[in-house]
Amino acid sequence: MVNDILKIKAFNVQTVSFGDEYKFNAGHLIIPQQANLKLPSYYDSIKIRIIRPHHHNVQVNSIMDIVPISTKVLGEIGTGLTHTLTGVVLIITGADITGKQLHDFGSSAGILQDQLQLGTPGTPGPDDYIISFDVMLGEKYEYSRKLFTDIFKYADDYLQPIRKIMKMIDGREASETHEYHNYPNQGKGKPNVAIVKQVSGQGAMYDNLLFPTEPSGMRGGESIIDMDNFPVLLTPNEYRDGAIHAMV
Amino acid sequence: MGVGPSTKETTLHHFHDPLVQVFGSDPDINLQGVIVVGTPEDNTLKHLVGKRTAKWLEGMSTQGAVIAADGWGNSDVDFMNTMSAIGDEGISIIGLKFIGKQATFVVSNEYTKYVLDINKSVQGIETTVVGENSLDLHDANKALGLLKLKMRADGNG
Repeated sequence: MVNDILKIKAFNVQTVSFGDEYKFNAGHLIIPQQANLKLPSYYDSIKIRIIRPHHHNVQVNSIMDIVPISTKVLGEIGTGLTHTLTGVVLIITGADITGKQLHDFGSSAGILQDQLQLGTPGTPGPDDYIISFDVMLGEKYEYSRKLFTDIFKYADDYLQPIRKIMKMIDGREASETHEYHNYPNQGKGKPNVAIVKQVSGQGAMYDNLLFPTEPSGMRGGESIIDMDNFPVLLTPNEYRDGAIHAMV
Repeated sequence: MGVGPSTKETTLHHFHDPLVQVFGSDPDINLQGVIVVGTPEDNTLKHLVGKRTAKWLEGMSTQGAVIAADGWGNSDVDFMNTMSAIGDEGISIIGLKFIGKQATFVVSNEYTKYVLDINKSVQGIETTVVGENSLDLHDANKALGLLKLKMRADGNG
């Protein structure tokens, strides 16, 4: 089939530092310290921090999500070419100014090295940089789906300028290239097998977004709640290409 | 109960999903796709989304399936509903979920014995450590092995 192949090129990040504007050059990622977002009045602030590898003895608010930084270069999610960064992830954390943590069921606030198991599929490795996106709310806010969807969108907006730069990186600079065929064993007489993923879909911090425009992004996506939690079929390559953004 | 820090599947987790990695690269099976299904509040809808999932798999001529969940508690009802609905179509089904000492099944049926526990904490509880009890490659490999055995026993492929 035409859209059967997905290529993911990974670019390794060796350092992350603050600067006046977004830049990526020869493995060095520069990001602004100010999020430059127009926040509603019930937000106190958003603080960006860079947590270096092996320097995890720092206090964090409850971890809402860990996000890879990827972008579509050619094609739509699940086909064509994607660029992704290795060696860096974004962590979204949050609380309000009274200290109340933002989470569904159990807070992971505390010292990062005690609250994060490194090297699992969903967490950074020991040598990865962490960009901490820490949301501080004021006192008067409504704990709602919209609040959390907005927080995830703000974090996504902070990443988008990095993605814009990544689209232009020369593919020959990639540290890894992966090529995935959607159905390599179709028509070979092998038994048909499917994966069923049951995901949260009941409200604030218990939600998942599908089919964003950018891999692991927010914009353009649909919440599973707005689909009435009905089953949706994803091709293996759509899944590999970041067709789901967790909001749990 | 719901989604705790140690079992939650982050966006990075979905990107690196161990089930897709393992099932998608095994030479002995044809991975048809991933059905993502939510967890409605309404009891009628809980049954309906499970049944739709099963009917969809039947329509795809699926012979074996694995189901995994990102939380535990109320969502166990959805999990067992969907698992039973798939099994009732004659499709071999196995599950993966956090059980430990905290999330054992309230009700058991013929399918509960085919659910593997992804707990990794010594205490068997929600430890609030992000990533600690989430599904990893080892769990996914175990699941593939169990599903192959179940399919053979069921005469599915």
